[in-house]
Amino acid sequence: MSPATADRDYNAMGDENFRREIRAFFEAEYPPHLRYILHRTRWHEMKDWWRKLADRGWIAPNWPREWGGMALDAGKMVIYLEELERHGVARAPDQGITQVGPLIMRFGSEAQKENYLPRTRSGEYIWCQGYSEPNAGSDLAGLQTAAVLEGDHFVVNGQKIWTTLADDATHIYLLARTDKAAKKQQGISFFLVDLKTPGITLRPIRNLAGHDEFCQVFFDNARVPRETLIGALNDGWTVAKALLGFERLGIGSPRRPQYALRRLEMVAQAKGLFGDAGFVDRFIALKLDIEDGAALYGRFVEQVKRGEPLGQDVSMLKIWTMETWQRLTELLIEAGAEEGVIAGVRDIAGVETDFLNPFYYSRPATIYGGSSEIQRNIIAKYVLKLPS
Amino acid sequence: MTRDPVNTVEHRGLLADSVADFAARGTDIARVRKLRGSAVEYDRAIWKQMAELGWLGILVPEQYGGLGLGLTEMAIVARGLARGLAPEPLAATAVLSATALIAAENEALKREQLPRLVSGQMLPALAWQEAAGALDPAAVRCTAVAFEGGYKLSGTKRFISGSGQADAFLVTALAGNEVVLLWLPRATAGAQLKLESLADGRSFGALKLDDALVPRAGVAATGPAAVSALALAFDHATAIAGAELVGVMERALEMSLDYLKTRVQFGKPIGAFQALQHRAVDLHIHKEVANATLEEVLGLLDRGPDAAARAALASRVKARCADAALKITREAIQLHGAIGFTDEYDAGLYLKRALTLAAWLGHPTWHRRRYAQLTTGLKAGITAGVMA
Repeated sequence: MSPATADRDYNAMGDENFRREIRAFFEAEYPPHLRYILHRTRWHEMKDWWRKLADRGWIAPNWPREWGGMALDAGKMVIYLEELERHGVARAPDQGITQVGPLIMRFGSEAQKENYLPRTRSGEYIWCQGYSEPNAGSDLAGLQTAAVLEGDHFVVNGQKIWTTLADDATHIYLLARTDKAAKKQQGISFFLVDLKTPGITLRPIRNLAGHDEFCQVFFDNARVPRETLIGALNDGWTVAKALLGFERLGIGSPRRPQYALRRLEMVAQAKGLFGDAGFVDRFIALKLDIEDGAALYGRFVEQVKRGEPLGQDVSMLKIWTMETWQRLTELLIEAGAEEGVIAGVRDIAGVETDFLNPFYYSRPATIYGGSSEIQRNIIAKYVLKLPS
Repeated sequence: MTRDPVNTVEHRGLLADSVADFAARGTDIARVRKLRGSAVEYDRAIWKQMAELGWLGILVPEQYGGLGLGLTEMAIVARGLARGLAPEPLAATAVLSATALIAAENEALKREQLPRLVSGQMLPALAWQEAAGALDPAAVRCTAVAFEGGYKLSGTKRFISGSGQADAFLVTALAGNEVVLLWLPRATAGAQLKLESLADGRSFGALKLDDALVPRAGVAATGPAAVSALALAFDHATAIAGAELVGVMERALEMSLDYLKTRVQFGKPIGAFQALQHRAVDLHIHKEVANATLEEVLGLLDRGPDAAARAALASRVKARCADAALKITREAIQLHGAIGFTDEYDAGLYLKRALTLAAWLGHPTWHRRRYAQLTTGLKAGITAGVMA
């Protein structure tokens, strides 16, 4: 952390001054070849940018200043995210900052804070999420990976799956069952585990796009120190649930469909598709779905800026945004006609386009982070108050 | 009128309260059933009450006896009344006709007629359309032949909303190559009105003109001023139709959710079935997106954008709200089952109102095409008959 930025109170700045300062930094320092990229970035691509942000004191906008964060209030946080999106800054493997850090601050011991927080901030520790299992997807509380206390260690057995970019990570935050007799949610604990622990092996899983995006993580008598337990024993579900909230707004941001729309518009112009009434009708309906969805997003952003907590109704943003994104990527492929199914980056009258990748990467968007069906269940129960 | 923010918020709150009180009488739907299909389209006594509450003058500047407020305020009233399907022609008279007259050039006419419109004594209907689906205010075939300082009008105007008990018409006609907007009292010789019954029990008027005389004093506007007054009136009434559609969809969805919670089949409320829950959630999301779009668009329109931006905003909100209202009211029938298909049950009244409002002032596809033309630099041609 540079001394010049350590003690700054960003929340005391005017919104526009704050916006101008971070915008100028992003424009000057963010690698141009990584703007608006379509794939999920790997650590080797993003680590230089991470270090730049960390040196500036800006890698952890949500963290308090005592741990080297910017301590932004909700209003400034929204501006920070808006500027990231405006400049097309890709998401680094940031789960340590967005998820693990806040958890450790809330539930961790002093020793855990001293150990994990500075290293997470500097990029020495990269985190991945160990939640889903082959038989615990939407029904996460049905997870079976077991951690049994033996002396000073928990012995972990089982497997996790769909662990995004585990092969870039050094650590995994893990939900494991510590009481088999207890009912579902109650016998689960939360651990912070070093992936170098003997007995842990990774197997990359190739996704539809042909990329090794996620992994299977196997635990075979992996002995993890007792101090890696965070929060109380058998209280891991409470810890995991505390992560919901602000990030659910981020997942419903119109950024992804907006990028895809820009790409589609360029391709359509290059191919003269705006002379085709059928195409125009579909294009403009999608464009309005994005703009009107952005109006809904704006309402939730205003709510956050006013300091009000987000309710369960924020689930509708994810459904709308992700389903709109999928339909856009479908039209992009159709716009490419035969070329739409040729793999790799194509040159369409000077516009470089990968037709298939956006389509592939939008598929799991209605599955991860709570599938669209789970989101609908949530709204039906908590917002519409329909009976069960 | 100066409008400080506190005053504005307070004003809107009071307005919403008075609309809620008015609607709480709960007699509107009974009146709709009584009046539908008859030559009496609406209740003149109720119209006077609306005038006393100040609603008819919301958009009329203070110098003409109105309140000089904005579309946001008018939308509060329109949306609230639409929830109960009140048959009075608020949008047609207090928005479409009033705005055309306010934007006209004939100061003496405005000073004479606008205060009467505000007080409910004078109900003018705007007679500007001729062929179905042709929404360009300059595409006029009725003729105005100069005669002793005034004009003789011939031709047929159609689709005149709120004309059943109109006291006068604002008629467009071609004088040579120029569009003119003329004030024509209903009782004028050579003017004959026929009513065509609509799905929702209201009527469109068809006004047959056969050498109907308009004196010089009745010339409201000529040439570009007439066309721009009509374009403004069209856009503002279109946005308010959006607000009415939101009121219609809100009430229709409430009815459907109540039914899902109370109707028991297979031993439980049908709202406990996931297939119906997810449908209800989708309808809720469509309603919320429409709501957010309406709020955003009204705020932008009240800042007085240029004609092209204004037209795009009006089209955006009409397309969104009409499609959402049609979807929600159609599904209301399905969710209710057979009872929804009966005339006795109110769900059908909401569907029919949505049908009529969606068709009035341009259907969703027309509006999306106009939006495309205005926002993506498309050339005209693909959207024949669309005004920009």
